Amino acid sequence: MTLLEVQHLTKNFGGLTANDDISFHMEKGELVGLIGPNGAGKTTLFNCISGLHAVTSGRIVFDGEDITPLKAHEVARRGLARTFQVYVAAGDLTVEENVMVGCFMKTASRSRARAHADQILRELNIRDLSDYMVSELPVAAQKRVTMATAIGSDPKLLLLDEVAAGLNPNEVEAIMASIRHVHDEMGITVMLIEHVMELVMKVTHRVIVLDYGRKIAEGDPESISTNPQVIKAYLGERYVKEQRSSAG
Amino acid sequence: METIKNALDFSDFPRLDLTVAGAVALCLIIFPLFPLSSFAMSTMIQFLMFALYGMGWNTIGGYGGQVDLGKAQYVGIGAYTTAVMLIRWDIPFWVSMPIGVCFAVTWSFIIGYPLFRLKGHYFAIATIATSLVLKDIFEVWEFVGAARGLEISPIKYHPPDFLRLIFREDIYYFYFILGFFFLGILYINWFRKSRLGYQLRSIKDNEDMARSLGINVHWAKIKTYAIATGFVSVVGSFHACYIKNIEPEDTMSLDISILIALMAMLGGAGSLWGPIIGAGILIPLKSYLKEWLGAQAGLVGIDLILYALIIMLISAYEPRGVWGIIEKIRRRKRA
Repeated sequence: MTLLEVQHLTKNFGGLTANDDISFHMEKGELVGLIGPNGAGKTTLFNCISGLHAVTSGRIVFDGEDITPLKAHEVARRGLARTFQVYVAAGDLTVEENVMVGCFMKTASRSRARAHADQILRELNIRDLSDYMVSELPVAAQKRVTMATAIGSDPKLLLLDEVAAGLNPNEVEAIMASIRHVHDEMGITVMLIEHVMELVMKVTHRVIVLDYGRKIAEGDPESISTNPQVIKAYLGERYVKEQRSSAG
Repeated sequence: METIKNALDFSDFPRLDLTVAGAVALCLIIFPLFPLSSFAMSTMIQFLMFALYGMGWNTIGGYGGQVDLGKAQYVGIGAYTTAVMLIRWDIPFWVSMPIGVCFAVTWSFIIGYPLFRLKGHYFAIATIATSLVLKDIFEVWEFVGAARGLEISPIKYHPPDFLRLIFREDIYYFYFILGFFFLGILYINWFRKSRLGYQLRSIKDNEDMARSLGINVHWAKIKTYAIATGFVSVVGSFHACYIKNIEPEDTMSLDISILIALMAMLGGAGSLWGPIIGAGILIPLKSYLKEWLGAQAGLVGIDLILYALIIMLISAYEPRGVWGIIEKIRRRKRA
């Protein structure tokens, strides 16, 4: 069953075309990666899908409904959650309260929101952070909190924007486990923007590649990593050589 | 049920806070038993009124982070509704007060809808502007006494009049406003734990994030603004009965708006006790400076100089005010 369908999506900022005629679709239960060099329009695409940007042209269909004209909060209420690449917290909420805000989308009861938040924090192994202010946590932990918060709203589709950027190998390992848990155990369809290729190759089923706002390739991780266009635009010859030497 | 439970549940505060709060509450209740001057009594009533104004401001300004410098317009709407209705049609306080709240909330929707399209300083400036415009309208509006204002003459009534809230002794007013004060604390205690309370704090943290969590940011701000307005309007109605002499220059001046915001910020915006602490510091200080130094030593305007100083100190050192300092010390002790 198709959960998300993006048709000929274009987004202009003045003279700059950030997304140029992008089309793709996602099945329910998939785990899709979105890669591409900096400035390729990945985050803009997320912003368009989640309703923060109005699209210039094109259509976005989510769960059988045209969500193109909807505002961000309306899109969110239909079960499409996301995280942010750069998370600026003014520092008024603790981790638990932050996740509770997500949970409040589905319930008005504080005790129910708290119970749900606690459960999510436990499932993502960050229950011990509950009482910290989000702003006083290191980046790695903050990213997992934003993930937990998005999950709190009980989404059908979760868009993750560079949750592994700037993390050390151990932390990448941990966040990978969390992503798998969210997908496999919680049954949430996931799309993720990521520069950490190891993560993309290991966890995703399918990869979409953007360059200069256009979709230049799409396929399973294996075929993408050998696609000459993708190597030229993004991965680079060095990546390919490293992969070969580590394989051989 | 959960609503009432949340309003009465203060268990997430440390025991020390609750002990201090309980002691202060007790002192307030037995305060009139001490033979104090009428000056102390009127300062105390002012303190309670401004603590309530501050609590109202704190919902949108503190928890929501939308600095509102136009609360005086709602003091005016509440005060004028009660005064006009009493003088012209002999309508008692308990009827005119809720009607005043309706007027104030309606007005808050009318100006809140466009105003919350603005952010930060622009929003703050726009609230000042609407407040000043409303004040100017009242100054030329003959029906409400124009610039002369209105006077409720107590001779017409037979105090103590509990329906119209007309009393000869301040002690009645004290207990009435103290009752409102306790109810106000319970309401804010519920509010900060409500869905809207959490959503507002999330909006203050990061608006895009809040949107992507299904929060209608614009509507949440308007709703909270209406709540803040309700608070201010109730106290405005009380103000009319207590002062008995209202004119636009007194009830709707920019000074009042600034004082309300300043108090909440000094005490600690976004905390339950903040506005009360702020009012507890500023109101006695203001009374002392204005009535005493201002009138007797001829240092007119010294209170305004002091406000300016406080604004500068808060914004430079601790944006979260006195309560922010207390929390910081506590955190350091725990760590």
